[in-house]
Amino acid sequence: MIDLQVLTQAVGDLDEEAILTMINDFVATNPSGEDAQKVVFACQQGMAIVGDLFEKNEYYVGDLIFAGELLSQTINLLKPVMSGEASQKVGSIVIGTVEGDLHDIGKNIFGSMAEAAGFEVYDLGIDVSPSVFVDKVKEVKPQIIGMSGVLTLAIDSMKNTVKALNDAGLRDSVKIIIGGNPVNEDACKQIGADAFTTNAAEGLKTCQGWVK
Amino acid sequence: MTDAVAMTNERNQIFRDLFSGKTPKRVPISNPATQDFAIQYAGLDLAECQWNLTKLEPVYDKFCQDFYTDTYPGGSIRIPSHYQILGSTPIVMSSSGFMQHPEVVGLLAEEYDEFIASPYDCIIEKVLPRLFTEMNGAPGKVAMALAKAMRAHSDDMASLGTIRAKMNAKYGYATMMGALTEAPFDFLADFLRSFKGISGDVRRYPDKVLAACEAVLPLMIKKGTLPNPAMLGYTFIPLHMAPYLRDKDFATLYWPTFKKLVETMVSMGQNVQLFVENDWMRYLDYLYELPENTILRFEYGDAKLVKEKLGKKHIISGFYPITLLQTGTKQQCVDKAKELMDILAPGGKYWFQTDKSVINFESKGPVAENMRAVLEYVHENGAY
Amino acid sequence: MLGGEGKMDSKYYATWEEYLAEHPELDGKPAQAIAPKIQKYEDAMFVFIMDLLL
Repeated sequence: MIDLQVLTQAVGDLDEEAILTMINDFVATNPSGEDAQKVVFACQQGMAIVGDLFEKNEYYVGDLIFAGELLSQTINLLKPVMSGEASQKVGSIVIGTVEGDLHDIGKNIFGSMAEAAGFEVYDLGIDVSPSVFVDKVKEVKPQIIGMSGVLTLAIDSMKNTVKALNDAGLRDSVKIIIGGNPVNEDACKQIGADAFTTNAAEGLKTCQGWVK
Repeated sequence: MTDAVAMTNERNQIFRDLFSGKTPKRVPISNPATQDFAIQYAGLDLAECQWNLTKLEPVYDKFCQDFYTDTYPGGSIRIPSHYQILGSTPIVMSSSGFMQHPEVVGLLAEEYDEFIASPYDCIIEKVLPRLFTEMNGAPGKVAMALAKAMRAHSDDMASLGTIRAKMNAKYGYATMMGALTEAPFDFLADFLRSFKGISGDVRRYPDKVLAACEAVLPLMIKKGTLPNPAMLGYTFIPLHMAPYLRDKDFATLYWPTFKKLVETMVSMGQNVQLFVENDWMRYLDYLYELPENTILRFEYGDAKLVKEKLGKKHIISGFYPITLLQTGTKQQCVDKAKELMDILAPGGKYWFQTDKSVINFESKGPVAENMRAVLEYVHENGAY
Repeated sequence: MLGGEGKMDSKYYATWEEYLAEHPELDGKPAQAIAPKIQKYEDAMFVFIMDLLL
């Protein structure tokens, strides 16, 4: 079994070589699903360190992106030894960049941080119309919807998406968070969202609060 | 028409003075809205007018008529025809009609050595075929796609150039030329390695990132060179990746070749305008090191601190928050302009521009009115 | 010709001198008329290509 504290620190340090060595060695021992779950949890704690360092301005957005990549790699390596039921999800989120907008870096950072924190993330991609959001919500019944956009026209698309959810009778069954350059308190009220953020780490905290 | 000629001469002199560090007779002003805005403002279809450029002359005429500006409020390098012909994936038109840049990867990590050996070879042989579907195929088809695209692009530029000449002749704008280039690190990131890719590269192979920046520097210098260095104009460099890097990565990987680029352009006798995007406040001391009279247009930051630290050596611009045009009253918008001018104009070396471009027009919204009021205010009150 | 420090060093870009070396049929022809034109299109292509990535 890996020294979980060392692993957590390695994730916090974004030490790819150390992480991959530990994980590969671990998987080679044919571990139990339960042990694999402990390793996943240790990685998630490492990601929390990354989030903290970001808030302290020691890590920057480039580091968050790299962290997301490391975590994806790690989870993929662990998948074969993770038992199905052991991968408990804390909740599910549907995310997408709204109609008319093709920007996705912020959304992707948020998505990988949410995944790292134990959420099931359904990423609809870019230029997503309201009806596509509605269909996905009907299909997977998430707790949370995250809408992203960089252009100011995204505000209108976000409004339209909330309206579509209302019309489909789905609004009350979800929490909605919006993110991106143009979002602020005014926009949040106009759109009818429950929260807004321009910081992925902060947005994640909000979502974690909602599913407690 | 002699009025317009006189105005052009006056405006050219204002900019010549500004760029050489002398204080012009008044603060020069640039309309922050783009061709996209102008098309919507004229009530026309965004996608259609970017394809059928004959529709643009009345669009620009109304735009120039309604919004005060010293510089020509137009130009776009994102005209769709040549992108379509080449099967572009890095620049595409969204459902809303705006040309945008989704995240793409043009250069694979395993191709770094090839890129370092000859960036232009690698661009032609690997990057373009990967990013542009019509450049990836039988040689005959690729050749024809390239020929058609160049012709389409050339015709589009000629159409826009004709409109520009007419507007200059009618409204007397400053006749300045720009040459677009990027910092080597940004060029490597934007279309080649991607934001996600370069973020990993900085950790995994910083030595290759550095070598790639050095290898591509001559191309970025060449790209930023004006047809005639002595002409009125500038090398325009939008800055992208620095705010997303740790300080030490900025210092070793981003800064050296970026500094070299700016110094080289200046040594050739050219002016340099940097669009300092996102937050560079932690890098102000670096910016100070750049050659005197570098034009710095800020998107974010503390205007007072910037004026204090950089305002004697460099030409400051930007800061005016366009979101205020959307959310504020006319008075609030004008007051903000006054506030910024009071901070940035004294002592000279100031050019009124907003923090970023205004691309979207809503007919029921306040932006057009507020923008008009702000530009008028700065025109009437823009003294140093 | 667009200047700037440093060479292009690519099989897809030729300076006038490099071009002339490959095209001896131009010896004796009026270089003062031909050179700027050949170079102009070489540089136009360079700008077009680079703008696709900017």
